Amino acid sequence: MLRATGIHKTYRLDRVEVKVLRGASLAVEEAEFVVIMGASGSGKSTLLHILGALDTPDRGGVEFKGRELFGAATGNAARERYRNREVGFVFQFYHLLPELSVLENVMIPGLVTHPFWSWRRSRGRVRQDATQLLERVGLSHRIAHRPNELSGGERQRVAIARALMNRPTLLLADEPTGNLDETIGAEILKLLAELNQAGQTIVMVTHDPKVASHAHRQVRLADGVVRASETAGPRPSAPRATRRVAP
Amino acid sequence: MAGVALGNDASGARPGAFARAATRGYNPGMYKWFLAWRYLHTKLIAFFGIASVMLCVAMVLVVMSVMGGFLDTIRARSRGLHSEIVLEAGSLQGFPYYEEFARYASAQLPQVVRLTTPVVYSYGILRVPATTETKPVRVLGIRLGEYVQVNDFRKGLYYERFYPGTTHLAPQPLPVGGFDENGAGRLPPDLEAANARWRESESDREAVEEYLRNPFEKAPRPYVTPAVPGDRVFAVDVGGPHYAEPENYGVIVGCDVLFERRADGNFDRHLCRGADLALTLMPLSQAGNPTGEPPVKLPLRYADDSRSGIYEIDSLCVYVDADMLQHQLAMDAQPLVDGGFTRPRVNQLLIGLQPGVELNAARDAIDAVWLRFLGTLGETVSEADERLLGFVRVYSWEDLQRPFIAAVEKEKVLVTILFALISVVAIALVGCIFYMIVEKKTRDIGILKALGASGRGVAGLFIAYAAAVGICGALLGTALGCVFVWNINDIQDFLAALNPALRVWSPEVYTFDKIPEVVKRADAAWIASIAVLASMIGSLIPARVAARVWPVQALRYE
Ligand SMILES: Nc1ncnc2c1ncn2[C@@H]1O[C@H](COP(=O)(O)OP(=O)(O)OP(=O)(O)O)[C@@H](O)[C@H]1O
Ligand SMILES: [Mg+2]
Repeated sequence: MLRATGIHKTYRLDRVEVKVLRGASLAVEEAEFVVIMGASGSGKSTLLHILGALDTPDRGGVEFKGRELFGAATGNAARERYRNREVGFVFQFYHLLPELSVLENVMIPGLVTHPFWSWRRSRGRVRQDATQLLERVGLSHRIAHRPNELSGGERQRVAIARALMNRPTLLLADEPTGNLDETIGAEILKLLAELNQAGQTIVMVTHDPKVASHAHRQVRLADGVVRASETAGPRPSAPRATRRVAP
Repeated sequence: MAGVALGNDASGARPGAFARAATRGYNPGMYKWFLAWRYLHTKLIAFFGIASVMLCVAMVLVVMSVMGGFLDTIRARSRGLHSEIVLEAGSLQGFPYYEEFARYASAQLPQVVRLTTPVVYSYGILRVPATTETKPVRVLGIRLGEYVQVNDFRKGLYYERFYPGTTHLAPQPLPVGGFDENGAGRLPPDLEAANARWRESESDREAVEEYLRNPFEKAPRPYVTPAVPGDRVFAVDVGGPHYAEPENYGVIVGCDVLFERRADGNFDRHLCRGADLALTLMPLSQAGNPTGEPPVKLPLRYADDSRSGIYEIDSLCVYVDADMLQHQLAMDAQPLVDGGFTRPRVNQLLIGLQPGVELNAARDAIDAVWLRFLGTLGETVSEADERLLGFVRVYSWEDLQRPFIAAVEKEKVLVTILFALISVVAIALVGCIFYMIVEKKTRDIGILKALGASGRGVAGLFIAYAAAVGICGALLGTALGCVFVWNINDIQDFLAALNPALRVWSPEVYTFDKIPEVVKRADAAWIASIAVLASMIGSLIPARVAARVWPVQALRYE
């Protein structure tokens, strides 16, 4: 479903070149749970950003369902659409909008999707979806709160709910437990595992081996290339017909 | 197809949907309106933007309204000052053949000319024998009955309002009031009757009540000045109301010539109606030389005072009967040494137009008729008369008042530009405020972009935000400006009560009693929409910065 091949990414700081990715390749199948491991600074976040079209590679390509994301024929609009509809991104630092309530934060991807003129029609559904998702992540009682009134674990669950808002094909999570203590982190992981059980494709970055054990497949990023690791769990027998998460 | 479809969401990878997205940008986003609205009422900084827009809008609106009102009043008053068309002699000697021309023009242009009336003018010295006060004045000889039909002169007459039909310029005695059995002042019967007519027809009931509370101040004979100066003053004497001889020609005096204007816009009249006045005149010969006769000294009666609203006129002009003045100035037919007579002369011929006639067209038509009229005179005209006729020009009231109006117009433009410049500061301020917001919100912009918002969409968010700030500021500013303008005289009175030095608008200096307090809708709409536009322009650069935020850069760190 998602295929990154020969990704190169170099950062130039003054005259120093940091070659972060040097031909990294990764393929993700539908309903898979892939974990990317690697030392700090090895380029895990960089790779994930490229997979989510938040950043562009210097060389190499990413194919999503057979379409090239960074090809000459693909415009910004297509990448924006991809970010909005196909990918849900969970950040290490939650990145919620402080002025909005929990519910509104979850609704934002829907607000990006739906135009002003049809909003009256779509509002009910978006709101309902967001409420159900918050129920799903166990936060239905904090709907009206502001992000700064929540704990780190709760914020991350809001961020996950937001990532799932537009029923994305792919969930990308960059160290979602990195800022949380072990028990809260375990809860988040349990939530992700359940989502995956329900058919959600997930790519997650972590450098915690215990966290990684939840995945079907682990890959290791080192020296700018992806190396396969041992499979941690059973591979999904067959791609499910649905990628939808039953709330 | 230009690109490839990446979606298989509920709407499906419809062919064409992608191409549309590629050309228009994936930019539908309700979020910008939602967030613009949210930022508007949660961010304190927005209130600074709103406040600055508001103050600018209010300021410009106040200035435009006051200056515009000023201008409109001047226009309206100028219009009613002379008459629509004026045939002006261009010299103090005046011009002959005015009656002939009046007949000729009426016959030639019956659908244009409604009425003509001659005016004689000169300069003289007005003296108040009772107080030995003297004033240089411009003396206008008018036919009152016709004069009030070509302009608004009647509206400005004071006693004529309370005693309609009693003001005239013909020889008149001094009205003397008496007292009834209760000790209340009584005027001669015709004045009382006129006043009763006024009380019947007056729509301003307050003015009637005010009159009934204090009909007039009393100046005991033989003096003509009352103990307390007041609005209406009559001579009183024991015995019944009556008229006292001798009969003298009446004079209408410009209100600022003799009387002091009070802060409330009314006047302190310290002379009774009908008081003796004396006017000294210097007749000129046809060639413009003094005739050699001693100056003419005319005894007159103060019949009324007039107020045009233009200080230069009200502080200078007195009005007497045209034929009397013409005679006194030796501008009527004078015997010549070789037999025969000179032609009577006047200084102006005022022409009132038929309703609906276009002013400039009428002026041009009358100008043409004037030239034709000169042609009909032929050889009969004496050389001196011919010279005088050569000076005559045809003006419309706009021509006459143009220099004055143009000056105020320029002033208005100047002040408006000045304040518009100040408003540029407001644009800059909105720009700064938005720049700060964008800086502070870089991370949020990155988040929105990571969730699929386009650069244009984010820019749109900030422009919508600025528009919202502009609209709020413009609405509040319009409200503030309107309230200020509507109450500007009260505000000024309040300030003046605190400290007289704070009285900016002094009715003694300006020609208007009150600061104009009308806001024109068109002005308000213009200013408000320009303010909204200006705030949006102010937000353009910050919006551009926001559009260029690169999601990863904004999101990498906490
Ligand atoms: N914008 C940038 N400019 C310069 N260097 C950068 C930039 N972004 C990332 N890098 C560098 O690229 C390298 C990879 O960064 P990246 O964040 O992908 O690592 P990571 O594997 O996610 O590390 P961590 O586990 O600490 O999150 C780092 O050395 C980092 O300094
Ligand atoms: Mg990282």
